[in-house]
Amino acid sequence: MNIVIVGAGKVGSTLASFLSQEDHDITIIDNDEEVIQEANDTLDVMCIKGPGAAPSVLREAGAEDADLVLATTNMDEVNMLCALTAKRLGAKYTIARIRDVAYTDDLASLQKDLNIDAVINPEYSTALEISRLLRLPAAANVDTFFRGKVEMIGVRVRENDPIVGHPLSDLFGRTSTLSILFSAAERDGEVIIPDGTFVPRAGDKLYVTGTPKDLSVYLRGLGRDLPKIQSAFLIGGSRIAHYLTKMLLAMGVRVTLVENDENHCRMLSEWLPGALILHGDGTDQELLLSEHFTNNDAFIALTGRDEDNLISALYAQQQGIRKVVAKCNRMNYADVVQAAGLECVVAPKLITVGRILRLVRGLQAKEGSVMSALYRLSDTDAEAAEFILQENTPHLGVPLKDLSIRKGFLIVAVLHEGHVIIPSGTTVLSAGDRVIVISHQQGIQSFRDIF
Amino acid sequence: MNYKLMLRMLGRTLQVEALCLLVPLVVSLYYREDPLPFLYTILPVAILGTLLSRLKARAEFFSREGFTVVGLIWLAFCLFGALPFWFSGEFASFGDCFFESASGFTTTGGTALADIESLPRGILFWRAFSSWIGGMGVLIFTMAFLPKVGGRSQTLFRAEVPGPVSTKLVPQTAHASQILYLMYFVLTGAELVALRIAGMPWFDAITTTFSCVCTAGFSVMNQSLGAYNLPACEIIAIVFMILGSLNFAVFFLVITGRARQALRSDELKFFLGILGVVSLLVFWNILPLYDTAGHALRDAVFQVTSLISTSGFSTVDYNLWPTFSQTLLLLLMFVGGCSGSTAGSIKCGRILLLLRSSTRSILRLSHPRAVKVVKLDGKPVNEETLGSVFSFFVCYFLLLGLGSVVVSLDGHSLISSFTAALGCLSNVGPGLDLVGPFGNFSSFSEFNKIFLGVLMLVGRLEIFPILLLFHPSTWRRT
Repeated sequence: MNIVIVGAGKVGSTLASFLSQEDHDITIIDNDEEVIQEANDTLDVMCIKGPGAAPSVLREAGAEDADLVLATTNMDEVNMLCALTAKRLGAKYTIARIRDVAYTDDLASLQKDLNIDAVINPEYSTALEISRLLRLPAAANVDTFFRGKVEMIGVRVRENDPIVGHPLSDLFGRTSTLSILFSAAERDGEVIIPDGTFVPRAGDKLYVTGTPKDLSVYLRGLGRDLPKIQSAFLIGGSRIAHYLTKMLLAMGVRVTLVENDENHCRMLSEWLPGALILHGDGTDQELLLSEHFTNNDAFIALTGRDEDNLISALYAQQQGIRKVVAKCNRMNYADVVQAAGLECVVAPKLITVGRILRLVRGLQAKEGSVMSALYRLSDTDAEAAEFILQENTPHLGVPLKDLSIRKGFLIVAVLHEGHVIIPSGTTVLSAGDRVIVISHQQGIQSFRDIF
Repeated sequence: MNYKLMLRMLGRTLQVEALCLLVPLVVSLYYREDPLPFLYTILPVAILGTLLSRLKARAEFFSREGFTVVGLIWLAFCLFGALPFWFSGEFASFGDCFFESASGFTTTGGTALADIESLPRGILFWRAFSSWIGGMGVLIFTMAFLPKVGGRSQTLFRAEVPGPVSTKLVPQTAHASQILYLMYFVLTGAELVALRIAGMPWFDAITTTFSCVCTAGFSVMNQSLGAYNLPACEIIAIVFMILGSLNFAVFFLVITGRARQALRSDELKFFLGILGVVSLLVFWNILPLYDTAGHALRDAVFQVTSLISTSGFSTVDYNLWPTFSQTLLLLLMFVGGCSGSTAGSIKCGRILLLLRSSTRSILRLSHPRAVKVVKLDGKPVNEETLGSVFSFFVCYFLLLGLGSVVVSLDGHSLISSFTAALGCLSNVGPGLDLVGPFGNFSSFSEFNKIFLGVLMLVGRLEIFPILLLFHPSTWRRT
């Protein structure tokens, strides 16, 4: 595909590197000479210097017959204008990053009026992800499929869990009343798509798929059904914090938010009257203790500095707060702290890149294959692809146990006429079903690839 | 200070006053009474006004000039408005006349006369009419109907419209004034028709209407509204006193089809909440004194509305009610109506801001670093406004204290002296005991009548424009 990326910031350049590896023709537009030079040196892309919203620059970049124009400069307004202009010039699909809180309420109409095909809001997506983690405190990560009808949670296996040491085929008998499926496992940084012979060990992270209801029963069986989070302590008043506070307040969670800048505090207080806004340094232990932060069920570090977030999160965990989440964009740091026991680290950059890649893959799929969405599983290199089965899809009507599915692929959920089926050996696929396939290697393009 | 421009504006408003005086002149001619008191007033006022308004002045006009001129204009209005009373010969002293005139323009509605019913009709009409003009504001009237005075007319608007924050209805101040007066006209017309249908005689209906929509509470009867013994009229008066104490912006929003936005107002909810709760409490308290619950409820709601709207009408002598009810009524005199209404006193908006700001102070004791923006109607209120609300509050109580001390020189009871000062400062009019619902201010000394008249002006203009007149920095050249 011909892809134009306007704005080569953190997200723009990461995307460019991912997409160029997948054999797309990428053109980058940026106004900063240095950024352009950097991109030229490190990426296999074409670079153009100039204001990204100017029609002449977009034309020069080939927006007229681009399959996709991505506007990811740090100005929302430039992104909107850029998407609008590109569309006028003839771009097939436009994606704009719009993240200002002031636009969120009118986003749908704005998107329609400006004819933007997709809007991405990294901060909002990140907040949504964190709120999911807080909803299921036992899980280290949560992914949702079929608009929330199916969830996949990642849970770290502990020494005395009843599933340790039993092959999964044994477990099927014991969990037969529940329709859940062990979909993936992470052991020593490697992802394994398990079969019946897989034996869970302490320290593994097991990904389990099922309906939200069954999953909570499963967690209860493991003795991991932690009580609901009722209060959260946030440090750093970023946009993520703003979105997250709104979501948490709506869930009935009490929120305390610490922010360093006084004017920003006033603004937050104006927008979030339900939260307690404190002015101060969120990494200051004196302040944290004077506010009795250990009485909170959750601690979320969202300041602008990865280091502060990780250190504060480790401190909070050491102080015994049940659920600790830290924002960290540098994955190598995240690995270090995960080794130190910090489970939940979110990376807005990766969430965004993941979302855009998913959209791009979806676009590609539309061009002939039948993939309708692609999910990147948090923290791993495994993917989950959603397919819509059609009349000409092979092997319809055959029970799954009679199919020879290649190793490394697993069908984890089926949506049949609106009902969720967690597949077993006797499940039969039919045309019109939506299925989720987990794969270990990247680059699954078509449903045929799994056989 | 641009004195010439200030004098020219004063001239303009005096011309307006002369025009307004034509109305009672016509009334007194209609009733075949002596028109001379009005003629003697109109001539000098019109001539002085015309001379002053011909002054050539530079158009420079700033906040200081604005607030000062508002204070001066009101003082002049009350002084000249007292002349018809003086010339009529019905009043014992000029102090009485000034008190009566100030009581009218500031919509206080207290009277210095022991017997109102013996006054000529033209004079009675002028009392009611002056309160009607004062209700919406003399300057707003001038701005609505005369050509523009200058660019900074919003200052004048802000000085005259009560409340902590003034909302602009439309971009142009003159246009906003016209809208305000239009709504005022409609309210007046509606009440007049309603009262007439309910059976009040024409003259009484007109004067009652004039002093009801502006929440003044002048009546042409010694026994106030109680004299008519018409329950329907009392209910009509309740409705219009409530309407008069709502922010006129609410009506504007309703007319322009934004009723939902209007109903979201915190101040409105707060006002109606207090009104409802206190009415029920008083009703419960006075029920044993009545034969029927309906009558008790009507009297309770009427008195509560009358005092919270700072009208001061009465249907019953609440001096005879239990102390619990009297205490509640006394506290209502501090509350007043909504900002941007014709009601006086502290105003619900300010009280709401004070409450919220105090809650924040309490929050800060347990969370010293907490940041919380105080909001009114969903909009943040800046710290400067909050500060001015606090200083208003302090000045209000200092003046109330000072007023009570000065009034107590006359040797009346503590309650009489205190509520007399409170009634005047909050523009309610009557208080308790000697100045109770069927009492009057006639027994106060000449000095105190003038003093109370000034106190009413201070209350009507929300303290600062009048205090500004006494601040040295106002009159310094630099």
